[in-house]
Amino acid sequence: MRFKSAISATALWCALFLVNPVSAEPTPETSIIRVNATLQEYSFIKPWEKGAPSPRRGLGALISENQVLTTAEMVVNATYIELEHPSSGAKVPAKIVARDYEANLALLEPAIKNARVFEDVVPMERTNAVKAGDKVEVWQIEDNGDGVTTEVEVLRVNVGRYFLSSSNFLVYQIKGSLQARVNSFTLPVIQDGKLAGMLLSYNSKEQTANILPMPIIEAFLADVKDGEYQGFPSLGIGFAQTLDEALREFAGISESDGGIFIRKIAKDSSADRGGLKKGDIIMTIDGNAIDSRGNYEDPVYGKLSFSHIVRGNAKVGDSVKIDVIREGEPKSLDIALVRKEPTDYLIDPYMFDRGPRFLILGGLIFQELTRPYLESWGDSWTTRAPFKLVYAAANPGFPQ
Amino acid sequence: MKIQRSLHRWAIPVVTIFSLSLVAQQTAPAQQVVATEAPEVELVMPPPESVQADISEIDLDAIVRVEVDTKQPNYRVPWNVGGMGSGNGTGFLIGKNRFLTNAHVVSNGRLIYIKKVSDPRPYKAKVVNIAHDCDLALLELESEEDYENSFENVEPLYIGGIPKLNTTVIAVGYPIGGERISVTRGVVSRVDFRTYSHSGVDNHLTIQVDAAINPGNSGGPVLQSNQVVGVAFQGYSGSVAQNTGYMIPVPVVERFLKDVEDGEYDFYVDIATSTLGILNPAQRQALGLPNNSVGVMVCEPDAAGSAGGILKPKDVLLSIDGHTIFSDGFIDIDGERVDMNEVIERKFAGDTVSLEVWRNQQQIDIEVELKRFIPYTIQANQYNKQPQFVLFAGLQFQPVDRSVMTSHSISDLQTRYYYTYFSSDEIYREKPQVIVLTAVLPDSVNTHLRSYVHKVVESINGKKIRLLQDVYDAFYKPNSEPGRDDFHVIRLVGEGRPLVLKRDEAAVAHDRIKAKYNVGFTSHIEEPEILELGDLIKQTDEEPAAEEPEKNQ
Repeated sequence: MRFKSAISATALWCALFLVNPVSAEPTPETSIIRVNATLQEYSFIKPWEKGAPSPRRGLGALISENQVLTTAEMVVNATYIELEHPSSGAKVPAKIVARDYEANLALLEPAIKNARVFEDVVPMERTNAVKAGDKVEVWQIEDNGDGVTTEVEVLRVNVGRYFLSSSNFLVYQIKGSLQARVNSFTLPVIQDGKLAGMLLSYNSKEQTANILPMPIIEAFLADVKDGEYQGFPSLGIGFAQTLDEALREFAGISESDGGIFIRKIAKDSSADRGGLKKGDIIMTIDGNAIDSRGNYEDPVYGKLSFSHIVRGNAKVGDSVKIDVIREGEPKSLDIALVRKEPTDYLIDPYMFDRGPRFLILGGLIFQELTRPYLESWGDSWTTRAPFKLVYAAANPGFPQ
Repeated sequence: MKIQRSLHRWAIPVVTIFSLSLVAQQTAPAQQVVATEAPEVELVMPPPESVQADISEIDLDAIVRVEVDTKQPNYRVPWNVGGMGSGNGTGFLIGKNRFLTNAHVVSNGRLIYIKKVSDPRPYKAKVVNIAHDCDLALLELESEEDYENSFENVEPLYIGGIPKLNTTVIAVGYPIGGERISVTRGVVSRVDFRTYSHSGVDNHLTIQVDAAINPGNSGGPVLQSNQVVGVAFQGYSGSVAQNTGYMIPVPVVERFLKDVEDGEYDFYVDIATSTLGILNPAQRQALGLPNNSVGVMVCEPDAAGSAGGILKPKDVLLSIDGHTIFSDGFIDIDGERVDMNEVIERKFAGDTVSLEVWRNQQQIDIEVELKRFIPYTIQANQYNKQPQFVLFAGLQFQPVDRSVMTSHSISDLQTRYYYTYFSSDEIYREKPQVIVLTAVLPDSVNTHLRSYVHKVVESINGKKIRLLQDVYDAFYKPNSEPGRDDFHVIRLVGEGRPLVLKRDEAAVAHDRIKAKYNVGFTSHIEEPEILELGDLIKQTDEEPAAEEPEKNQ
């Protein structure tokens, strides 16, 4: 861990800048912008109300002249967002350029001009090169503007949960001891002076953390850049492992092959539109053999869930070639990948930055059924919320 | 009482209005009632406390200790014998060799002894009639000779009426805290409809008293003026509410005694119709009713209930057996306001009830023949029954009921739906028994199937599963999915992945598992009561059953 005084750091950096700005070694003080947000949750019980405003303070990485990358969770239901210079305290109101709650990323920029906010802060370079076993740094900023770097180790790379319980993406799992500071939400993760990811969550008991990795960030930024944001595709299947030999024999797959059994197909999903069927066994996706647990051998990260082929390596509009065994016969399908918006579902799985639509007539409140409405009953909502609504949410279309 | 349950389900606050009114009983005309709220009703003063508290004419030998050895069924491991236990309660002599007690005192009983105050000898007894829906049972001494020698000269207790609010009552019995007979005293606190916790689903008239009623008091008489005014039966533990005991009042006791006069208990009847109080003037206007606070609207008559196919949603019930039904669901009987169900509570299977009904802007008269409502028993506690199951190759199948849901802690959403809405969504038409894979006894043949427990079975080997017997037949009779006669194929509701067992391996594994897990027998199947519904249940149709698996593929 490295501590520097604000004065020496600034002085050092200024000196270098004057001589040769390109060779400057990036530090937290020269790359990070503080992000302060005021969040106000929408009430799903009294849909005309918003909850008490609460502050959230985090960090973002300057990635272009005036754009700051942070997590979507950092600015979820934000009523007011501002960007703050890491040490001078200069602030400017910010607006959201793009945001994706599934990939948990947001891109911010100043809503009005204030040159002082980015004064002496240089856009970060980015690296995709992190692998299991690498050392990376987590960057933080002290209250007084000093940078703090903590070296941590990448234990493994796998697919895990981001912000929403429903969506899984590539994550770096790291081990190391981190301390809370004023702006602790969303910490940049650095390798060789380049941005490698953003810290998603930290388990202080086990001293492990999940990092949102650069491949997902790059895909997000590329999607933003082309003008129309489309988000990350998904296949839309529920699957069962095929470790059960009786099932393998029943489905007509050999002992040595892998394959996953499709239990469910989400309506209007890529799988549904592309002609996958319940009972199909997926053997390969884009030439990658899928094992009986649902993993494939990634050339960079090793064993990974097949979902990364769809989510991490492809984008909306791409096609993947899926080989299946259907009723004992091999079959090959080209599946065009789509993304389902939360509003594409009969019952919205999540809803942020707006409340539920409602109508009050003669004192009766009518509102759309959403997952957040049910979650208003607390952690044990599946048993505490009205049972028929919980059941309907799990079985869209009920009652017929 | 189905109507009560339905009202709770719809969260309509009608039932909560009842609290302090007293109930007049046709069965006990001698008992006048005190009006607590309505001043226009004539006030009758209760007798002085010294008279109320008098039990000097009671022969304490008529109040007996009932000792029971029980065998509790094991719904989690249904082939096991179950837990042995013992307990004691109280009973009292009401006639020649007839002792009244609570059903829960003798439920699951294997050996019953009766002891009286003045005699060290226990006398062997047996159950004559038991009514789980109102928690009452009749016992007799097994030996006529025992009775003649020890009880012939004991004066039976006389059954009185409904005691007035705030009058003294005495509970006598053998509660926890000592061996000998105990007497506690309190007052009548409240008369109300409440759930009888023995079955967990039946609501009847109940009287709350603040006399201490503790474990062991159950089945004992609660006395006033030398007469029985109730049977002590349930209460709250001190951590929930203080001095809150409940007794079964005389109308419920007398109905039970009348029902069993023919030697058999025929259960309560139920109109099984959920209703809605119509106090909203706009609603009344829309229905074409005058704004006179009369009538309740029918929400949903259960098809399998007495009014199924007779009453319709949006019908307005105006009167029942000539008693005007007010918009809060209450009626007047002998100047007292009581729940309209009180009329049905006093009737028996085959009796009729006359309803004046407002339908399509017209008043019509409807007669409803009353019968028992069977589907709701899926949610009732079961007693004196051997758990039903089929075990095949380590897969344990059981029909869903309250005991199965709780003993296996089933939280699966689909299974909970079938259980909770079995009556109201008429699940029984398609699935008279909801069969669930409740457990997997691990073995190499089934080791990958353990994550599928608690789910409802749709079909086995192409046979649609509607009854537990179907499970047995699907495995043991020649059934298979088309072209898959080398596999047993089990399909679960809402689950695309079939559970499959290789037939040759399953046969071997079945015996191996039986030995390994010390399984005494691998099935117990009884014909379910629900089949009494007859035409309401869809008859077996082999054709669609064979097609079903193809749909899933």
